[in-house]
Amino acid sequence: MSKLKLSGVSKAYGATLALRRGDLEVMAGEVHVLMGSNGSGKSTLCKIIAGSVRPDSGRILVDDQPVTITGPRSARAHGIGIFYQELSLAAHRSVGENISLGRLPVKAGVFVDRSELRQRAARYIGLFDGVSGEEFSAEALVGSLRPDQRQLVEIMKALASEAPLLIFDEPTSALDRAQVERFFEILRDLKRRGRGIVFISHRMDEIKAIGDRVTIIRDGETITTLNLNDTDPATVIRLMVGGAGDMPASQSSVPAVVDAERGAALTVRNLSGRGFSDVSFEVARGEILGFGGLHGQGQSAVLRGIFGAGAVTSGKILIGEESFDASGPRKAIRCGCAYVSGDRARDGVISGRPIIENVTPIHYLRDRLMIARPRKLRHKVAPALQSMQTKFASLFHPISSLSGGNQQKVIIARWLIDRPDVLLLDDPTKGIDLSAKADLFALIRQLAADGLGIVLYSSEDAELLGNANRILVFNGGSVSRELTGADRTRYNLYQAAYEAA
Amino acid sequence: MSRINSFLRQPIVVALVLIVFLLYLGEALSPGFATGGQILRLLIVASLLGIIAAGQNVVILGGREGIDLSVGGVVSLSAIIAGNVMNGADGGILPAVGACLAAGAFFGLLNGLGVTLLRIPPLVMTLGMLGVLQGLLVVIRMGIPSGQAAPALSRFVTQPFAYGIPGIIWLWIMIGIVMALMLNRTVFGHRIYAIGSNEHAAYMAGVPVGIIRIALFVISGMFAAIAGLCLLGYSGTSFANVGEQYMLPSIIAVVFGGTSLAGGKGGYTGTMAGAVLLVILQSILTTINIEESGRQMVFGATLLLLMMFYGRGRAMRA
Repeated sequence: MSKLKLSGVSKAYGATLALRRGDLEVMAGEVHVLMGSNGSGKSTLCKIIAGSVRPDSGRILVDDQPVTITGPRSARAHGIGIFYQELSLAAHRSVGENISLGRLPVKAGVFVDRSELRQRAARYIGLFDGVSGEEFSAEALVGSLRPDQRQLVEIMKALASEAPLLIFDEPTSALDRAQVERFFEILRDLKRRGRGIVFISHRMDEIKAIGDRVTIIRDGETITTLNLNDTDPATVIRLMVGGAGDMPASQSSVPAVVDAERGAALTVRNLSGRGFSDVSFEVARGEILGFGGLHGQGQSAVLRGIFGAGAVTSGKILIGEESFDASGPRKAIRCGCAYVSGDRARDGVISGRPIIENVTPIHYLRDRLMIARPRKLRHKVAPALQSMQTKFASLFHPISSLSGGNQQKVIIARWLIDRPDVLLLDDPTKGIDLSAKADLFALIRQLAADGLGIVLYSSEDAELLGNANRILVFNGGSVSRELTGADRTRYNLYQAAYEAA
Repeated sequence: MSRINSFLRQPIVVALVLIVFLLYLGEALSPGFATGGQILRLLIVASLLGIIAAGQNVVILGGREGIDLSVGGVVSLSAIIAGNVMNGADGGILPAVGACLAAGAFFGLLNGLGVTLLRIPPLVMTLGMLGVLQGLLVVIRMGIPSGQAAPALSRFVTQPFAYGIPGIIWLWIMIGIVMALMLNRTVFGHRIYAIGSNEHAAYMAGVPVGIIRIALFVISGMFAAIAGLCLLGYSGTSFANVGEQYMLPSIIAVVFGGTSLAGGKGGYTGTMAGAVLLVILQSILTTINIEESGRQMVFGATLLLLMMFYGRGRAMRA
């Protein structure tokens, strides 16, 4: 019996087609896995089911009845319950209240029925008895819990909706082994009771363990639905990557071998901190080392940690031969370390100030300047900007008058007056246009040729494959695989990212 | 056309036009209002306010809801300290200057440490400090006399010093030049704007955010201390809470001059015009016999009006 059926659902945001043709059918009593890479349209499809996005076209059937989902409340009324990946809990309220947040029990029309609230909380907390960790109780405040415990509350909240159809968007990302095992037992029990479950995860082992069928989405289109028993991980990944996935990265633009004579620019040994653990690597002078993998697997955290802007608990960092322990960006900059963030608005742009003042801060620090003479500075600032074909009318116009791509060029230019030894790029091309990207990568390769050690994290696989000499694939905060030479293919990158070795 | 338009919309131009208008208005209401001697007297008072507003200005420019409500308390304290240290003797002026600057820097440092290390919002921190200072003034007043200004100090503030203009006005002009150079031509100035515009980006670019913010509060305390010293010279003797009436006007002058309360935008030249404007406005209100309470109401309403005016401008640009 079909619990939920979507056919030919599409959604466009302005000119971008986020979902071209989404098809999905979830049966009663199955765990249906949804797979697709970042930006494939998977999350748009989920949002349509959840009612937070209205589709432009297509049909939705619940229990074989055509329905229109007008919003989250309407989704609930149609029996759809959702686990949100971005935690949607009230931090200052208790676990018990959060579990019932979706539908608080009420008595006499206005008062919260506290005894019913307690009973309900006890029922769902009991499901995870023994694996939920210390100090986990109905009275505990959500804000005081560990990340995995908060994720459990989020799961309990979804379960407490008792909806016939449940959607879990990466519900296990913070959980440990035992918690995942228990959660899967609960899901199997729900299956037996005839519920339909949509499950999104990037862990191939979990998908094999719990899934019945898998629907694969690529470039906004449903490619196929397979029985997981009749297939293997390699096939699934091949379907996600599409054709041409086995082609090795273009070799013409990047030398695959770096002159080892020149030595290491950056050495990282057993680095651990918030969001990553036991990461080790070396970047040679003149090398571009790529960081790949799914979003948020520790790539940014490592880069920020090296730069002194993130938490590092243990490990060793060397720049050249010198031991380096950045207590903050100031120290890192003085030691010749540079960091460019993709989040320009937060980490880069000094908004409302002239372009020239957005380029000079690093120069001020490294040359210990006290006086700022615009006429003298302009001879240093202008060449740095021109090396990337930055378009600007005057150095004294506010940076906000530039396009996103040109703003990012200005941010990068600030590192070019006094050359660093190590350049850390944290998804630097996020949200900038193609021609600006081309200018940036031309510069990055030039800098590598000049002998800088460069680490490039990019959420776009094509950028990694086209520019990096080596690629480290991150998974769950550590390096799971290293791709070099002819191994640098889209297929291998996906396979490593999805842990399907 | 749009160029002329944007020129006319600049806060400093608006302030200057208003200044001329108010002078005419004053002259019309009470002939003799806009004579040379009278204008000089107005400028002396404007200098006092303007010097306090210089400190207020840098704190506001530094962003993160930067504001210094304790300036009035520091002005009063400084006047008391100066009066007792010099006690009517010219030889006591230099020690008095040192003592006042040290006291101003000390309380500014406390403000700065509270705001940066303890992460207390500036509004709360400096309001608390104002309370502490007011209490302290009561305690001091019971133990020691209020003190007398040295004759040389009084002459410096009230009598012509060079080219017929009193020394305090020269001092103010000098402060104006130093402030303009500091904000536009020093790394420190650029860093003030940087932390006021985007503190996190400034931090990532190696700006010592905490040290600079502490320095801004120290500067504010020291400017308030200088103003307190000059105020003693102006009135001859220090009296109860002499500085309190300057707190609100110092903020209005900054906002009038085009500095955004959100930080990172503005400068001191506009603030100077704002200070002159406020003093003329105050004088006109006195001329037409409006009591102190009425003047406070007009000032408060002016600030709110300015906020509406500038606040809407920002919303429209976004």
